[in-house]
Amino acid sequence: MSAEKGGTAVRIWDLPLRLFHWLLVLSISVGAATGFLAPAWWLGVHVWAGYAVGALIVFRLIWAAYGSEYSRVASFLFSPRETIAHLAGIVRGRSSGHLGHNPAGAVMIFGLAALVSTIVVTGFIVLGGQEKHGVLAGVVSYATGHAAREIHQVLAFALLALVAAHVAGVVVESRLESENLALAMLTGRKRLAAGRSAPKMRSSRPLAALVTLAIVAALATAGGATLAGMPPLGLRDLPPNPVYAKECGACHHAFHPSLLPAASWDGMMAHLDDHFGEDASLPEATRVALAAWLVANASETWDSEAANVFRRVSPDEPWRITATRYWKRRHQNIDPTVFTAKAVGGKANCNACHGDASSGRYDDQAIAIPKEKS
Amino acid sequence: MNKTILAAIVAALSILAVGPATAEPARDAILADLLLQAKTADGGFGGFAAERGKGFFLASPASGKPDTPSCTTCHTPSPQNTGKTRAGKEIKPMAVSANPARFTDPAEVEKWFGRNCNSVLGRDCTAAEKGDFITFMASQ
Ligand code: HEC
Ligand code: HEC
Ligand code: HEC
Repeated sequence: MSAEKGGTAVRIWDLPLRLFHWLLVLSISVGAATGFLAPAWWLGVHVWAGYAVGALIVFRLIWAAYGSEYSRVASFLFSPRETIAHLAGIVRGRSSGHLGHNPAGAVMIFGLAALVSTIVVTGFIVLGGQEKHGVLAGVVSYATGHAAREIHQVLAFALLALVAAHVAGVVVESRLESENLALAMLTGRKRLAAGRSAPKMRSSRPLAALVTLAIVAALATAGGATLAGMPPLGLRDLPPNPVYAKECGACHHAFHPSLLPAASWDGMMAHLDDHFGEDASLPEATRVALAAWLVANASETWDSEAANVFRRVSPDEPWRITATRYWKRRHQNIDPTVFTAKAVGGKANCNACHGDASSGRYDDQAIAIPKEKS
Repeated sequence: MNKTILAAIVAALSILAVGPATAEPARDAILADLLLQAKTADGGFGGFAAERGKGFFLASPASGKPDTPSCTTCHTPSPQNTGKTRAGKEIKPMAVSANPARFTDPAEVEKWFGRNCNSVLGRDCTAAEKGDFITFMASQ
């Protein structure tokens, strides 16, 4: 029971709005693909998608005030009664004949906007807290970042569901209106119902929008620069310890002291004569000095991701980083022959795959499994 | 102090007796010190022998820790080879010809003999065993 359409097509969606829509589709797709599917070292791309989505949302908020008629938020604010009436119409297969966003579409827009914004914000909290990167690295603790990650993930699934509902809604409304709404979002044009004349439409105010955008961008840049200038919370540059590097780096990579808690270092350093099945004894003065240095820089004194995840040691082997649940889980998909390959040498040679192992950061983006030389 | 002077004298004597051991003063001093210890332990000790050192190196006493039955577990049976620790890190060759820096730092030599002898043999190596070992590696 679709409304009869006349021949006249009118421009409903202005160009900036259409660009916004499709760029949002693109950046959310990239964000979802890298978030759900890509390996850890794609985090950089994922984060850029997050920046893009955030910027697009800011633009859309400004355009909601200064865009042309149907971009303005005032054009799609409906009362609950109108919304219910519209939904009832859909059930009965009737189009409500809205030219711009209809009430169901408006609900979807507000839902998507709220969800996407929260995903972006929680994403930056995760990035700052867990990875100690991005604008929030200096202010968010690991624990907060970890909690935000749970929310970020749940909301990401919710977004998938909402996007599916959005597409379904577009299909249904397109049939009811006998108008390809997706195509309309590309061309900007919709045909008028027969006998209907083009409504009065306010045009956009690009200059006002541009000025607002410039002010917001300046504020964001200044704020971002201030935040980015802060040192990452709970990370520090450890002055190199040549004695440690030599003595504890002789048989394997010299592990960063943040990778085990003080109790583990203490226990290990008290039994160097039986160190994982080997005698690794040191002259007493050296042993005491290194034990003190390890304890003073143990995981308790850091808030990096690695320090947090390896703090929960295995009860059976509290001295092994590679025995922790986290280590096993994160490395379970790596073929065992990769570890024994010549270029790696063994599980304990973290630095073969983690380019930043000596700093204790263990950044996702610093991971590269070395190619075997034949 | 006294010990160093004594070691120097013994070194000089041993050069006269068996010729220059390895032509590297630092290594010779280490060997001289070991020779002194060996003679103190056994008055009739007649000097280090590369052949005995080779046997010691290749043996599998397996009287120490289970994961390290022999020196060759890590150093491989050929002194020319690059070895590998149990944790997977490379060990430069032990043969002096392949790695001239070998056995030139007395503290390092003492530390590693202390560790590796305990791991492999379950006891300290004797001065004679150490000297034979270095002599063998110096001849390689
Ligand atoms: C004589 C050789 C040797 C020296 C010297 C040595 N280690 Fe080790 N270490 C080992 C071996 C062998 C392992 C076990 C490796 C394996 O099972 O993969 C190990 C394992 C470790 C592990 C556990 C790695 C894991 O799997 O999570 C830590 C931590 C460690 N060592 C710390 C130290 C510290 C600190 C020092 C300096 C005091 C030191 N090591 C010196 C040989 C050595
Ligand atoms: C053979 C290469 C290899 C070795 C050796 C290795 N790792 Fe990894 N590690 C990886 C890979 C690959 C990942 C990413 C896995 C994934 O995508 O979840 C990873 C992930 C991690 C992470 C999570 C990083 C993050 O930011 O999410 C930590 C922490 C980590 N490894 C620590 C270690 C430590 C400590 C050692 C040494 C005891 C070690 N790794 C040895 C390959 C390696
Ligand atoms: C568990 C592995 C392992 C075993 C078994 C082992 N070594 Fe070593 N050895 C090493 C490592 C690691 C080093 C130090 C790395 C280096 O000097 O390149 C070393 C160094 C040495 C050094 C010091 C060399 C120098 O230039 O100062 C001596 C001496 C030595 N080993 C003797 C022995 C003897 C003798 C045995 C057998 C009784 C033995 N090793 C068995 C791993 C081992």
